[in-house]
Amino acid sequence: MAHLEVSRVTKRYGNTVAVDNVSFSAEPGRILGLLGPNGAGKTSTIRMITYIAVPDAGTVRYDGRTVGPWSQQRMGYLPEESGLYKRLGVKEQLVYLGTLKGLSQETAADRADHWLDRFDATDWADMTIEELSKGMQQKVQFIATLLHDPSLLIFDEPFSGLDPINADLLRDIILELRRDDRTILFASHRMEQVEQLCDDICLMAEGDVVLQGPLRDVKAQFGQNTLVLEFDGDDAFLDELVAAGQVRVNTRSAHRAELTLADGTDARPVLDRALDHTDELYRYERVAPPLNEIFVEVVGEAEAQRMREEAAADTD
Amino acid sequence: MSFHKIWLILRSEFWRRVRSKAFVLATLLVPFGAILLFAAPALFGYLADQTDEQTVAVVDETGRLADSLMATGGESLTFRPVDAPTDSVRRAVRSGQYDGYLRLPTSLLDGTGEATYYSMEGGGLTLRSDLDTRVNRVVRRSRLATAGASADVLSIVDSDVGLATRKLSEDEGTTDDSTLAYTAIGYVMAFAIYFAVFFYGQYVMQGVIEEKSSRVVEVIVSSVRPFELLMGKVLGIGAMGLTQMVTWAALATGGMAAIGPVLALFFAPSDLGASPGASPDALREAAGISVPTIPLDLIVWFILFFVGGFLLYASLFAAVGSAVEQQQDAQNLLLPVMTPLILPILFLVFIIESPNATVSVVTSIIPFFSPILMVLRIAITSVPLWEVVTAFVLLVGAFVGMIWVAGRIYRVGILSYGKTPSLREIARWATYR
Repeated sequence: MAHLEVSRVTKRYGNTVAVDNVSFSAEPGRILGLLGPNGAGKTSTIRMITYIAVPDAGTVRYDGRTVGPWSQQRMGYLPEESGLYKRLGVKEQLVYLGTLKGLSQETAADRADHWLDRFDATDWADMTIEELSKGMQQKVQFIATLLHDPSLLIFDEPFSGLDPINADLLRDIILELRRDDRTILFASHRMEQVEQLCDDICLMAEGDVVLQGPLRDVKAQFGQNTLVLEFDGDDAFLDELVAAGQVRVNTRSAHRAELTLADGTDARPVLDRALDHTDELYRYERVAPPLNEIFVEVVGEAEAQRMREEAAADTD
Repeated sequence: MSFHKIWLILRSEFWRRVRSKAFVLATLLVPFGAILLFAAPALFGYLADQTDEQTVAVVDETGRLADSLMATGGESLTFRPVDAPTDSVRRAVRSGQYDGYLRLPTSLLDGTGEATYYSMEGGGLTLRSDLDTRVNRVVRRSRLATAGASADVLSIVDSDVGLATRKLSEDEGTTDDSTLAYTAIGYVMAFAIYFAVFFYGQYVMQGVIEEKSSRVVEVIVSSVRPFELLMGKVLGIGAMGLTQMVTWAALATGGMAAIGPVLALFFAPSDLGASPGASPDALREAAGISVPTIPLDLIVWFILFFVGGFLLYASLFAAVGSAVEQQQDAQNLLLPVMTPLILPILFLVFIIESPNATVSVVTSIIPFFSPILMVLRIAITSVPLWEVVTAFVLLVGAFVGMIWVAGRIYRVGILSYGKTPSLREIARWATYR
């Protein structure tokens, strides 16, 4: 199985530079998380990988060759916004999209049956897309992405619109695809999904790659400066810690807090405070920072805030 | 470029539309509507003739005209001479015994007076011209007789001659001159191409907008080149258009063939002025419905120019569609596409009147106009072959060029969301890498 290599790629639209001299690579059998808020250049980058757009400078290579119509046949792309013909039947649609990827009519029909069965969706075969719920549409879109058995898969926000059960089903299939040694690119601005799924990450902001590497290495690089507390009782001690400049609060609710230690602060005093002030302490853990915090550190609070808002809007 | 993929897209676009209810309904309803449109006036005329049996009382003060006037009466118009005071005649009209009464004063005989028709409703145009003709004829005869004209003279005055037109053919001999019929055919064909390009072009635009707004286009262009998608779509919808037009042509031909037998069901040959036992075709001609034979070369050029014109305009409609997200936003951008399509319609009348004038020749060769104007000229006049071929070659050149430009705009447009771009921005898209 082959790897994907994006090297020194630049794309301009009019006077805007959407992607600026970006390089990264994705390996077979691993999932690369492409992260960043809207406008970071993720979609433009993906469009160049999928050969929907051509870079102004730099090259995108798959399996050692510059991408083109040949690589489109070996690649499955699930775009961020689901795109299907509204008034076309589910199966007919899948077969059509499959033949456009080079499958024969018969093979496409067989595979469509197989996947519809896998998703418990055989009953929908003759329904039109507009008759389906958003989640059902997303499943059909997912099937369309896999139908031609691609070796390179690109998922842009694949879980949007799915209920937890179907999201799990989808995650299982994505992990299965990884076991088959396929190269998988997973674009999202939902940090927790990226943390759960990805082996490597590539963080983009304003057309640049600001951070990349294996997820574990990236996290190790930022040390274990994060504390997670779960407790019962008065949480006023948290305010005191903040006022004293010892910690920053990442997330906080009635019984849980995630804190970042300020530079030069030890973790021990925080534990003491917690033991003194809470009625019960269920959890005290010192961990690597979540991706979200890493992102804040790399690109600044404003950008990170924007991304959190987008992620929140997505879950609606 | 993969012709296989273009074919796959063409096939899907074609089938998806052709089997839709909207298509089947439109294909069947349009001829039905056309028949109603053409048949309605004829039907009304026929019904009007049937109901308008008029009885007119004649008050003949000359004492000489009533008899000959009565002789001119027919099925729909009966004259009754009356010899009663005006009052009682008027009463009879008011009571509905007569539809009206005609007063012929003595002064008619020396050509100074005028006849007067009195009625409750006024009578209508048909009756008026009918009465006018008959009274004039009777008065003229009577005055000629008084002046001592012989029976020969009288018959000369009464006779009508027809005007037949014949056309000299290239070789010796003459053929029936069907100028009028061919003008009509040319006119219909010109409009057929105009409407077909307009409607099927809109279809293409709508298809592009749907694909873009439903975002399916991004999935498709991750499998095929945008240009292949554009061509497949344009050709698929073009094939749909041809299917529809061929169906209509077949229905029209079938309808024409059926007119004779249908007439035979409803009318006796004598009703239509044909000899007893006349064939259906003879009946049809007697009923005044003639079917001019359309020359094969005209049909071939019609199809070629339709296809060329469709490809030229459809690619432009597609380019406009790719730039917007909803149909309403397309209005302003359509101006440069619609203008050259509508302009030739303004030339139609001029070209029908002077098909060989320089202006006619030149406008019919210009690529954006030729699909409509050259077809019209081929129908109504003998166009030198070089003119037709030049027009067609230029048209092919134009649509190849336009498809290329449209393809470049389309490629950028389908992936651009947000504010509707200006024409200038769209033009710049064509230069993007």
